[in-house]
Amino acid sequence: MTISKKIVLIGHFGVGKTSLIRRFVENTFTEDYKVTIGVHISKRTINISENEDISLIIWDLEGQDDIKKTRPSYLLGTNGFIYVFDLTRPVTFEHLNDELAFLKENFVTTPIKVVGNKVDLVNKIYLKEHSEQFDNVVDYFVSAKTGSRVEKLFAKLAEELI
Amino acid sequence: MLTKYIEKYHKNNFQYILVDDAGKILEQDNPILPLTIGENIQDIHPFFEILTHLLPTIDESFEFSCINLDYNNQETLVVDISLKTSTNNNNLVIIENLTNHYNNYQLTAQSRNESIINSQILVLKNEYLLEKETFKNNFIANFSHQLRNPITASTIFSDLLINSNLNSEQKNYLQIIQSANKDLKQRIEDILDISKIESGKLILVNKVFNLKELLKNLEIIYSYLGNKKGIHIQFNIESNIPEFVEGDQYRLKQIIGNLLTNALNFTNKGSIIMNVSLNYFRAKKVNLHFEIIDSGCGIDDESINSIFDRFTKLDTTAGTGIGLGLAIVKYLISEMGGNISVESEVNKGSKFTFNISFKTSNHSNDQKIEILKNQTPQLKRKYNVLLVEDSEVIQLSILKILASTGLFYIHIIDKAEMLIPHLIDNKVDLILLSNTIQDFSAITLASSVRNLSKEYKKTPIILLSTQGYKDDIKHFKKNSINHVLVKPFDKNKLLELVKQSLK
Ligand SMILES: Nc1nc2c(ncn2[C@@H]2O[C@H](COP(=O)(O)OP(=O)(O)OP(=O)(O)O)[C@@H](O)[C@H]2O)c(=O)[nH]1
Ligand SMILES: [Mg+2]
Repeated sequence: MTISKKIVLIGHFGVGKTSLIRRFVENTFTEDYKVTIGVHISKRTINISENEDISLIIWDLEGQDDIKKTRPSYLLGTNGFIYVFDLTRPVTFEHLNDELAFLKENFVTTPIKVVGNKVDLVNKIYLKEHSEQFDNVVDYFVSAKTGSRVEKLFAKLAEELI
Repeated sequence: MLTKYIEKYHKNNFQYILVDDAGKILEQDNPILPLTIGENIQDIHPFFEILTHLLPTIDESFEFSCINLDYNNQETLVVDISLKTSTNNNNLVIIENLTNHYNNYQLTAQSRNESIINSQILVLKNEYLLEKETFKNNFIANFSHQLRNPITASTIFSDLLINSNLNSEQKNYLQIIQSANKDLKQRIEDILDISKIESGKLILVNKVFNLKELLKNLEIIYSYLGNKKGIHIQFNIESNIPEFVEGDQYRLKQIIGNLLTNALNFTNKGSIIMNVSLNYFRAKKVNLHFEIIDSGCGIDDESINSIFDRFTKLDTTAGTGIGLGLAIVKYLISEMGGNISVESEVNKGSKFTFNISFKTSNHSNDQKIEILKNQTPQLKRKYNVLLVEDSEVIQLSILKILASTGLFYIHIIDKAEMLIPHLIDNKVDLILLSNTIQDFSAITLASSVRNLSKEYKKTPIILLSTQGYKDDIKHFKKNSINHVLVKPFDKNKLLELVKQSLK
């Protein structure tokens, strides 16, 4: 049996939403940055137990410097969010808590995974220095480039959707 | 006619599709997306899976704009999609193809986002570099400060030692130590200056000062130093230069002193000439021309371009590097609105030339003298100063300094036991107290003064201290001591503090 769930990736522009999805869906990565406008939708089915598949319909939204500006129609029927920020650009996580509060307020029961992307570009000391901002908020430090923890992120979210 | 045109030029931008509540395509008009009747629209593209939840609604309307439809490896279509639901299994899906429009928008967004991200990365890099730079400068400043104390101690004790019973060989060694100390101290001052320059903290303090007197003093000092080395130093100072100008006299002294010291270090025979002449008066400014000419070892063509750079050193047999001095000199001169240049020939000598402008003020000479007076506190009468010090060298140097002003009666005692009896028998306005008096701590002595009588409760006590750490100074100041002068001090510091305490 296959169930289908809608996952939305949201966050500032250039943080790597498209890249994470390409890593997850096609297992590819490119250094080139092509700005997403509107929304791209892709799909990957994963197996969660012996005879149970889950089909993830993944919505890759255009980046916003304020997610409150996101077109509401894109968020319709969302089953799970992945909030992505860029570990190397503080502007993308400056208002992390506000943005998350906005999502939680409007989607009270929808699971949200918070990920800091491009972990391949920073070191442990950097993460430690920012631990106050990241602790208790961030679920995964991921890299679309190396693929680190990408599979795990989606699998974990999928698990929570059933 | 119009109908004809419309037929000919009508753009097939819209596709109307009728689907049932399960998403099965019932009818469609125009192939933007090639659809087959009977096929389920949700199989066309994952976007349409959203319809599962929406189709069962009744008389609702949904708008989705800017949906990218990648379809069968063809060029991505970017479309707006609207959905009108109804009761009778006849739901309308309208697709409007806006690919061109959105592609243009994509180009704009692309350049906007890229430039924003680039500027953020630049800011980050900049912040990082600034942090590193600040760290470096703070580190240098702190470290250099910490070096000062051990060097001070080393200077003081070699000064004390040189007057004790030493044979001539020992004296020779000690003189080498003393000169090394001096050299080290100068280098640390230079490093501090450089770190101030780099962090933008070196600020000139412009005040009216007596230029002629400053040059005269330099002449006395350097003639003496030259004589010691057997080098004649000739000062030619044009008499038409103004007596009073406004500028940073300490930095000017530093510039000239540095160049003269270099000249002396690199000259082993012949002479050194220092010329100061007037370039011009203009708009309340006077421009002066300075030349320092030596007959020393000279600088080769290769090195001459880099001598004003930071962290270069002339490699000479003389052994005394010029270090950072010239870099500082160049910076100071440029801060004073001038520039410095050098001509040199190996084994013939060098000539350093620079110009500096100073403000001239309209004050009459009397007013200028008045200004100068207000800068250093003036005393109204002659004061009685008591020096408690057991080092003869220091006794002598303080005596010289204070006596040269003609403002003080000076009494010296070298034993702590004599302090109280002296205070009882004599009137004392100020006490200079050494912290190295045998068997007694300075604090004990100071508090015994305070306890002596009401008269001595407020008498200024200046401690001549070998301890210059902040905590020490704090400790002294809490315990009956008004000021601490850390050894070795120079004439100006001592006089300033004494005058200030008596004012
Ligand atoms: N080093 C590194 N670069 C990454 C990573 N993820 C993405 N990038 C780069 O970051 C840039 C932006 O990536 P995208 O995936 O296009 O970002 P986005 O969030 O989709 O951007 P918008 O579509 O404008 O919202 C691209 O140049 C990627 O190559 C990562 O994990 N590591
Ligand atoms: Mg994108």
